[in-house]
Amino acid sequence: MLRKYTEKFLKMDRRLIFALLTILMFIPLIKPLGLPNKAVGVSCQQVYDFIENLKPGGFILISLDYDPSTRPELHPQAKAVIRHAFRKDLRVAVMTFLPGSTGLIEEIFATVPKEYNKKEEIDYVVLPYQAGFVAVMTQLGSDMYSIYDKDKNGNPTKKMPVMKGITNYDDMSAVMCITGTALLDQWVLYAGDKFHVPMLGGVTAVSQPGYGPYLQKGQLKGLIGGMKGAADYEGLIGKLGKGTTGIDVLNLGHLLVLFLIITSNIILFFMKRF
Amino acid sequence: MLESLFAFVNKIDVASSVWVSSSMGMMLGGWLAAGLTIFMFSFLYKDNPFFKIAEHLYLGAGMGWLFQVSFFSVWMPKIWEPIKSGEDYLVLIPALLGLSLIAQFVPKISWVSRYGFTFVMGYGAGLSIPAELSTNFLAQISGTIVPLFSLGEPCLTGAALWGAFNSFLIFFGLICVLFYFFFSLEHKGAVKKVSNIGIYFLMLYFGAVFGNTVMGRFSLLYGRFDDLYKYSGSNYSYASIIIFFALVTFFVGSHFVDKKKKLKAK
Repeated sequence: MLRKYTEKFLKMDRRLIFALLTILMFIPLIKPLGLPNKAVGVSCQQVYDFIENLKPGGFILISLDYDPSTRPELHPQAKAVIRHAFRKDLRVAVMTFLPGSTGLIEEIFATVPKEYNKKEEIDYVVLPYQAGFVAVMTQLGSDMYSIYDKDKNGNPTKKMPVMKGITNYDDMSAVMCITGTALLDQWVLYAGDKFHVPMLGGVTAVSQPGYGPYLQKGQLKGLIGGMKGAADYEGLIGKLGKGTTGIDVLNLGHLLVLFLIITSNIILFFMKRF
Repeated sequence: MLESLFAFVNKIDVASSVWVSSSMGMMLGGWLAAGLTIFMFSFLYKDNPFFKIAEHLYLGAGMGWLFQVSFFSVWMPKIWEPIKSGEDYLVLIPALLGLSLIAQFVPKISWVSRYGFTFVMGYGAGLSIPAELSTNFLAQISGTIVPLFSLGEPCLTGAALWGAFNSFLIFFGLICVLFYFFFSLEHKGAVKKVSNIGIYFLMLYFGAVFGNTVMGRFSLLYGRFDDLYKYSGSNYSYASIIIFFALVTFFVGSHFVDKKKKLKAK
């Protein structure tokens, strides 16, 4: 009898698992559980410390290279980092190599600068999409105006107050790339290592373990990984957002996966012996 | 001619962005987003025409967006405007090299594309080979084999000992994994033991990657669910709920129709 049920459990229709997961993940959306996020990742703390230690007026170039497919993980990261930069009175330039990012960048800059009373062209500039990342990354090492002579609105960048004293990587405090692609590797390759500009990164959870060697070698000064990284960063700057609310969902989802893995293994263990 | 076409496209762009930010536009946008998301998820139950519609729309809209962003952010300011103003005719050279790649699709003149590819290959290889060697090979070797203790610093502190242990672990793991991938020696005796330890290091890495992958996928799922929850509100006329139940009704109906057809066929 028990054997019959356990066999049934192991041959469960996977659509049942999908349904269970859907219900479980909707619960915290309807009624947030407020589960705490207590363990801040080391590499995320490094990003925070690096930006925190920059002097006001410093210039940070942020390359937002993600599209709607990785938005839930990377959009909260980007918002948190830009908020931190504005809070520290850093000058911010944002660029992208992904056409799909342009709408998401507009979405961030429609709301976040107002929270800190920051003005376009004075405190920040949004640069237009550019194709050919290798050419752009290397050219930014000599004269960035040969590529970005105009901002996304078509206004000349060279005379903007936000760009005062900025010609190339030498004048920048840091470069950060938040991406769901392999573009962070390229930034380390063509900007960080070649022009010795401090590199920071933000990536999806899937690609996070692959950046361990860059962190260990110091080629990356810090890394934010996935939604957990976004939640960590939101906690560090004290402005909670979508990353933090996602922690409830992640915890419940992980508990379901753990339950299924452990239960299936226990059942298999006993079925083999009895 | 081209100028008036650009002006017309710009007018449409401005008009559409005004309409999209209106309350009606926002609500229809919510219905569209919720509908397409639910259509995509419906594949988890089984393949269906709604999933196909959403899939094709996704590809088409993606390509359309890519084209317009490339056109207005690259082609217009980098090629069209410098030529039109007579500022810089040299941009014609990279533009023609780029256009030559399209010749690949016309068999009779496909040889023209070689000029573009030659440039891309030469330029790409020249830039990437030294950079790759330096960043991903030499720098990683020096990062893997590091001194256990630094000269002039105390060795018996907790941090120094922990650092030394980490450095040794990385070096030891690297050697064991390299042994696992060394096939010119028969894996038996001491070699087998070392390569077996290498397998454990690899398994640890794969476990970390898999764990992170699960977390990443759940995060993406949460993103869509969060939007669906938003669109289920009264300000979007309960879009998610209505579309979800309409789709469930469709599946239940199609199930009975299929059953009837099967019975008739028998």
